[in-house]
Amino acid sequence: MKKGYFLTIFLISLFAWADDDHHKSHTMEMEAHSHEGHKHEVMVDGRKLEVDPDRFDKFVDGQKNFHVAVISVNGMVCDFCARGIEKTFKKDKSVQKIDVDLSRGKVLVLYSLSAKIEFEDIKQKILSNGQNATDLQVISI
Amino acid sequence: MGMLKKFFCSLFLISSIEARPISYSGGSTLMSISDNLKDSTYYHYSPTYKYSIGVEQVKDKFFDKKFTYLRLTYLLNRKNTKNSQRNLYFQSALSTDNLNDNFYGMHGDWETRRLFSGFGYKKVINNFRDFAEQYFQLGIAPYQGNYGDFHTWILMKTRKNSLVGDWKTYPVLKFFKGDFLFEIGYDSDVDWDVHLMYRF
Repeated sequence: MKKGYFLTIFLISLFAWADDDHHKSHTMEMEAHSHEGHKHEVMVDGRKLEVDPDRFDKFVDGQKNFHVAVISVNGMVCDFCARGIEKTFKKDKSVQKIDVDLSRGKVLVLYSLSAKIEFEDIKQKILSNGQNATDLQVISI
Repeated sequence: MGMLKKFFCSLFLISSIEARPISYSGGSTLMSISDNLKDSTYYHYSPTYKYSIGVEQVKDKFFDKKFTYLRLTYLLNRKNTKNSQRNLYFQSALSTDNLNDNFYGMHGDWETRRLFSGFGYKKVINNFRDFAEQYFQLGIAPYQGNYGDFHTWILMKTRKNSLVGDWKTYPVLKFFKGDFLFEIGYDSDVDWDVHLMYRF
């Protein structure tokens, strides 16, 4: 069981490394389990996942086999102004769910596993609402 | 005097609806403003987040007349940081009744989730008498709601109209939830100022 876990982490690490090199977009992946009490706070590369753990767990509660994009956004200071972000992402058929965390400047997007998540595309979607996406972390659940 | 009232009222309406001059790309906004002298309905569409075009219908209660304006607002500069956003806009409008009636100006704002500040300057040109208006606005959010919550802002607005000549300062309360925004202000001279907005 332990071997399988570490092998999974290792493979994901390799994938994340390759993905980062290819896109140069600060995109990383981590394996996120839904064990009770498990807090998704640290990425496989040791970077801190700056998302509210409770909010994240609530967001992914009951969800399996999805990608979660955690997008850092600059300029997202107002609920009324952030409405367009939700509307823009919901036009994408591979997006199942979206959550906006104003206090941390994060947008959580639940993608289907088959979705191709490109940071450039996400940056354009955020920019179309007048804000700037500065970072992307992709988590597989 | 009647004309002065008309101009002052129009200016007041124009200034009030500048709070959200541009929507997200492909977004539309419908606004309605009412006070003791005027009812206004303003629709604008934003092809991109950089500019909006719109039509404003104003019913002048004092003269019992209607006016229609074609409006353009352009985002000159925006600075996004993790905790704030700063904007600078250029605005212009033409009356469909008389192209010599128009205005142009600039306004800007800076806000965080807790604080808001804004300013504006507008030059109004018409067949009767040109004039200018400037305003400043400061506000604070008494609490920081999450996305989807009911949000509240308490603001103070101060403005000067060159036709009137002195500064007017009055409180404004702003509430919004989801795609709806409601703003209400009061001044003994301009009476109640009610502003509704729906973004879609």
